[in-house]
Amino acid sequence: MKIFITILLKELISFFRSFGLVILVIYFFTAEVYVAATGVEIEAKNVALGVVDKSAGGISKKILSNLHSPEFKTPKFYKSQKELSDAIYNKNIMVGMVFDEQFEKNYYKKLHPTVNILIDSTTASQSLMAIGYIQNIVMKFNNLKLPVELKMHKLFNQNAETKIFMGVSELLSVITLLTTILTAIAFVKEKESGTWDIMLLMPVNPKMIILAKSLSQIIIIMIGVVLSVGLVLFHSLDVPINGNLLHFFILTFFYVATTAGIGLFIAAVSKNIMQISQLSIVIMMPIIFLSGAWTPIYAMHPLLQYLSALAPLSYYIEGCQSIFFRGTSFIDLLPYFGGVLFLGVILYWYGFRKIGKLF
Amino acid sequence: MRLRVIKAYFLKEMIELIRTKMITMPYLMPLLIVILFGYGIKMQVTGVRTLILDNDNSQISRKLILKFEHSKYFTTMVKNISEKDGLREIKKANIDALIIIPSSFEKNSLKGIKTEIGVFTDASFPSRATTISNYIQGVILDLANDFNIDDSGVININTRNLFNQALRDEEMIVPGLLGMVLLISPAILTALIIAKEKEMGTIFNFYSSSVSKGEFLVAKLSSIFFLVSINIFIVFLVASYLFDLPFRGSFFLFWLASEFYVFVALGFGLLVSIIASSQIVAIIVTLMLTIIPAFMYSGMIMPISSMSGEAFITAHIYPVMYYNHIIYDTFLIGQGFSSSTNILYLLLLFTYGVILFILGLLFLKKEIK
Repeated sequence: MKIFITILLKELISFFRSFGLVILVIYFFTAEVYVAATGVEIEAKNVALGVVDKSAGGISKKILSNLHSPEFKTPKFYKSQKELSDAIYNKNIMVGMVFDEQFEKNYYKKLHPTVNILIDSTTASQSLMAIGYIQNIVMKFNNLKLPVELKMHKLFNQNAETKIFMGVSELLSVITLLTTILTAIAFVKEKESGTWDIMLLMPVNPKMIILAKSLSQIIIIMIGVVLSVGLVLFHSLDVPINGNLLHFFILTFFYVATTAGIGLFIAAVSKNIMQISQLSIVIMMPIIFLSGAWTPIYAMHPLLQYLSALAPLSYYIEGCQSIFFRGTSFIDLLPYFGGVLFLGVILYWYGFRKIGKLF
Repeated sequence: MRLRVIKAYFLKEMIELIRTKMITMPYLMPLLIVILFGYGIKMQVTGVRTLILDNDNSQISRKLILKFEHSKYFTTMVKNISEKDGLREIKKANIDALIIIPSSFEKNSLKGIKTEIGVFTDASFPSRATTISNYIQGVILDLANDFNIDDSGVININTRNLFNQALRDEEMIVPGLLGMVLLISPAILTALIIAKEKEMGTIFNFYSSSVSKGEFLVAKLSSIFFLVSINIFIVFLVASYLFDLPFRGSFFLFWLASEFYVFVALGFGLLVSIIASSQIVAIIVTLMLTIIPAFMYSGMIMPISSMSGEAFITAHIYPVMYYNHIIYDTFLIGQGFSSSTNILYLLLLFTYGVILFILGLLFLKKEIK
C-alpha cells in the first residue's frame, strides 16, 4: 500500500511540474467549455430578414412589427424581388418576405391573401426554425376562432437556452478526450524518455504501477471536473442542476475509469506521443460524435444506433443530461450507471491486460 | 531559389512522409471526419417520440391522434396512464413530447368553448424542443380545417426553400465539413512536419546547410500542398457520390478556391510550427486555432448574417467564412464567377495565404534562439 501511494504521489507531482500539461488541462476544462457553450447558437436568433412591400402597407406593417428581436433583426427593405433574391444569394439575408400589390386588397375582400417567403435553406436548422416563427406569428395575427388552445411547457430549460446544453455536452467531450490522452501520455512519456527501463527494474508489482498510474490521472481529471462544474457551469453559465450532484460525480468517476481503460490500450500500442495523438483522434472522434452529443441517438441511422450502444460515452451523456436537466431519480438512472460500469469493467480489464504485457 | 535544391528536399520530404506512415494523415483523418459528421449530425428533427394521453377518446381527439400518426415527424404512442407517469417517461428520456388531451375536449370544442391541450417537451436538447413545439403547433392549427371555420380572410404563407428544397441535412452540413477538413489536415501536417524536426534535432541539418529559408519552406510546404491537393478531389467525390450532393456551380471555382484555402491552411500550420517546439504542442495549438473557427465562425452552424458584434467581426477575421461562402455557392447555389462576392472572397483568400506565408518567412529563424 505504501508503494502504491508513493507511485501515486510521484505521478501527481510529475504532472504538476510539467507546466505545459497543467495549462492544457486548465484550458480545456475552463476556456474551451465556456467558448463552446457561448459561441454556438443553434437556435434561430437575430435572423436577417429582408422585405419587399408593394402593398399599401397597413397590414404588412402590423405583421412585421411582430417580427422582432431576439428572433429577428430589424427588417431590411428592398425595392424589387430581384434585389431581394440577390441579397439571399449573397447571404446578406436569410429570409425574404414578399407582400405583393394585391395583398392588402385581398385581405380586406377575403380573397385568400398570400405572403411569399423565400428562405436560404443552406444554413442548417436556423432556416427551419425561422419558418416556424413566421408561421406562428402570422397564425396569431390571423386570430382564427379556434376552440383549441395549446399550453406549451418546455420542461427543464424554459427559454431553450443553447448555452446550458452546449456547456454540459462540451464538458463531457473534454473529459473523454483528456482522460484518454493523459492516461496514455503518463505511460508513453516513460517509454519516450527512457525511464521505462527503471520502472521494469523496480522491485514492485507491475499491477500496482498500472493501477497507481491510472488512478493518478483519474484524480487529475476529477479535480478538473470539479473546477469546471463549479467555475464554468454553475458560476459563468448558470447551468441548473435538477438532480443530485453527487450522482453526477459518482457516474463521472466510473466513466473516467472506463475511458482510462481506452487510454491504457492506446498507450500499449503506441510508441511515442505522436502516435497517441493520432490514435486518440481516430478512436475517440467516432465515440464522441456517435454518442448523442450533437444528435440524439434515436435520430441516427439504425446501424449507428447499434454501434453507439457500445460506446460508454452514450450512456454517460444521457445519464448526465438526466441528472443536470431532467432531475431523474436514482432508480431511473440505474440503466446509465449499469451501462457505464459494464463497458467500463470490460474496457479497463482489456487495457490493463494489454499494458500489463509490456512489463 | 535553386530548383535543384528544392527538388531534392521535396523528394526527401515525400519519402519521409511515406516511410513514417504520416501519409495517412492527410487522407484518413479528413475522410473520417466527413463521414462521421456527415452521417452523425442531424439537424432536421424527425421521428419525435410522442406520447399522447387521450382522456377524451372522442371522434375529434382520435382525428387529432391520426394527424400525429400520419406525420413523418412523429412516432406516436397512445397510452392510458396518468399525467404523472407520463412526465416520468420524459424524465427517463423515453419520450420527447407529451400531449395531454383533456376529457371534455369534444364537448367543449363543439360548443365553442376554449379547451386547453397540454404539451410538454423535453428541452434538455433546446433547439430540438423549439422545433418540436413548432411542429405540434402546426398539427393543431391544421385541425382548424375540421372545425369548418371560414378561412378565406386568413393570410396564407407560401414558402419556397431556395437551394435545398428538401431541407436535407447532408446538403447543409457536408459542404461546411469540407471547409473544416481542408483547413485542419494541412495545418496539422505542416505544424507537425517542422515541429518534428525540432524535436528530433534534425532541424540542425537545415540550420547548418546552405539551404535558404525560402527554399526550405517551398520544399516543405509544396510536398504537403501536393498531397492535400489530391485530397480536394477525394473529398469532392465523397461529397457528391456518398452524400449525393448536387453540384450546381463551377468546378473550376471550387478547385481554385480550395487550392487557395489549402495555401492559407499551410500558412496557419507554418506559424504554429514556429512557436511550437514539440509535436504534441504543435498538434494542440493547431487544433485550438482551427477547430473553433472552422465550426463556429464558418456559417455552418450559425449563419454569418445572424451574427452580431464581436462574433461578426471574428468571423470576418478567420478565412473559413470566405471559403465556405464559395463552397456552398458551388455546391448548392450555383452563381459561380458571375457573383462579385465570390470573386472578392477568392481574392481575399489568396491575399490571406500570401500574408501568412510572408509572416512565416519573416519569423522563421535559421539559428538557435
